[in-house]
Amino acid sequence: MTQILQMTVRVAMRALRRNKLRSALTMLGIVIGVAAVITMVSIGEGADAAVQRQIQALGRNVLMVVPGATTSAGVRSGWGGVSTLTVQDARAIAEECPSVAAVSWVKRQIVQVVYAEKNWSTQAQGTPPSYLSVREWPLAAGSFFSQRDEDQAERVAVLGQTVVDQLFGPGQDPIGAVIRVKDVPFRVVGILERMGQTAWGQDQDDVVIMPFSTAERRVLGAEFLGSVDMVFGRSTSGAAVEDASEQIATLLRQRHRIGAGEDDDFSVRNLNAMARASEEASRVMSILLLGVASISLLVGGIGIMNILLVSVTERTREIGIRMAVGAKARHILLQFLVEAAALSLAGGSVGAVLGVVAARAVSVLAGWPTLISVGAVVAGVLFSGAVGIFFGFYPARRAARLDPIEALRSE
Amino acid sequence: MALPLVEVRDLWRVYELEGSSVDALRGVNLDVARGETVAIMGSSGSGKSTLMNVLGCLDLPTRGTYRLDGRDVAKLSADARAEIRNRQIGFVFQSFNLLPRTSALENVELPLVYAGASTAEQRERARAALRAVGLEGREHHLPSQLSGGEQQRVAIARALVNRPMLLLADEPTGNLDTRVSGEILEIFQRLTREQGLTFVVVTHEADVAACVGRVITVRDGQIVSDLSRAPVAARAALRA
Repeated sequence: MTQILQMTVRVAMRALRRNKLRSALTMLGIVIGVAAVITMVSIGEGADAAVQRQIQALGRNVLMVVPGATTSAGVRSGWGGVSTLTVQDARAIAEECPSVAAVSWVKRQIVQVVYAEKNWSTQAQGTPPSYLSVREWPLAAGSFFSQRDEDQAERVAVLGQTVVDQLFGPGQDPIGAVIRVKDVPFRVVGILERMGQTAWGQDQDDVVIMPFSTAERRVLGAEFLGSVDMVFGRSTSGAAVEDASEQIATLLRQRHRIGAGEDDDFSVRNLNAMARASEEASRVMSILLLGVASISLLVGGIGIMNILLVSVTERTREIGIRMAVGAKARHILLQFLVEAAALSLAGGSVGAVLGVVAARAVSVLAGWPTLISVGAVVAGVLFSGAVGIFFGFYPARRAARLDPIEALRSE
Repeated sequence: MALPLVEVRDLWRVYELEGSSVDALRGVNLDVARGETVAIMGSSGSGKSTLMNVLGCLDLPTRGTYRLDGRDVAKLSADARAEIRNRQIGFVFQSFNLLPRTSALENVELPLVYAGASTAEQRERARAALRAVGLEGREHHLPSQLSGGEQQRVAIARALVNRPMLLLADEPTGNLDTRVSGEILEIFQRLTREQGLTFVVVTHEADVAACVGRVITVRDGQIVSDLSRAPVAARAALRA
């Protein structure tokens, strides 16, 4: 049997080499199909991994309450309007919502910060010391400000990595340095770890964080004392996020005296929903990919079937000779199946290489994150082989069923 | 009496062609003993090639029986018939039927490949078979690089490489000139004698028929004469 297989493979290779252009064109369908699948899977998985990283960065059990859709005298305003959320709301959430473990709040403004001759426009956030633990945001250096700093409205600041990069040169230690925020001098006490972008593309590291009281009284103005731009909550567990959302919404509707049927003047967001959306998106993507892959491999498979039918016709006499000297039907069947598999496996391998190269090119040229999955490459090549065998079966069976006499008579 | 190698009884072969049927063989009876050399003669369309194809297990009878070495061929599976073609029968065609773009050696190895012989055995036996037909040194020539006579010798080597009992030749010299035909006939005679083969040759040339011990004439699908006599040497037959 190994002798027959050896000869079969040798004959198949010879037949394919004899018609190089024809073999190459036949493979093209499979090449493009497999390359497209591998490229798209790489892009899809890369995007998925990036979203997962972002979700990880913000924390899966973090909730955000933002003011929104306020209606005053018929004018609806969302972000940027006068905030309807207050420090009292945040404290109430902490006290009355059993699924909320910790609460913090933020007042923010775009400000100019200056250090030595460098300046940078960034977001100043005023927040109580609980912020760091609610966000689960580790420090890279120094320390966060304390409750005492908050109580006394000390002028101390913690910087995000982007701000450090913009204001300080290499070798300069920001800790202890005095920067000016809207012309108010602040002492830098800590630096945050790099957090990366939010899922919506905002640089979370482009931030200067200071005590809430300091921000309110010394930097951002006391126009709306006690109002906050955002409340962060952390649920007691990942599973409790939905409960916590519900409890916060109920509490705030009470506190803001919103009757049944009226629009909320806030919204509660959590990343669980976003994670689900991303999972759903990648599921849809997978189905689409499967569709694209099926169609291109189907077309490629039909190409292989077509060329094998031509080959069977061209080599009918050869088949007759082989049968006359003792080839059984299964030997002839094997001959053409091996040719089909060789064509499609070669196409699949070339396609896999092209796909990996294309995925690399996409991440280098377009800057998209890609993740080349070994599983997808192996599956792509194996599946292309299966396609070849499937579509090669009909022509191969036709060859195997030829009548020896008629095959010998053909020219 | 020993069992004949070939035993044909009331053999019919009917072709269905576009509604009308053609009787190529009409009740043929034929025994060929082991070691016999037989020529089947007749004009074209007489049915001699059809008979040859049935004897070679390439075709099946429509009615009647063909026993080869006691086995009713029509009752065997297609795979079993393939095995008979592979191991018990060697077939030489008028048009050589070598695989194109395939070396002489590989052509001769082909039956051994399907017989499942080891690579070393294939090589060794194919070389020996080529040597026996006088083609030593031409193992790696392609058919297109060989003359007609040489191609037919490769075909003979291929027919005999698996040591069959029955050697069949269908107009083996039909495409060759007289001198080369003589060489081919000599090879048949010599190898048949050396290997104790049963040899059946289809021909319409009297000098080919003269080289065998028994001449059967077929006309309109039936055997009309069956004569035994002493064969002459191939060289003498062709000179006559």
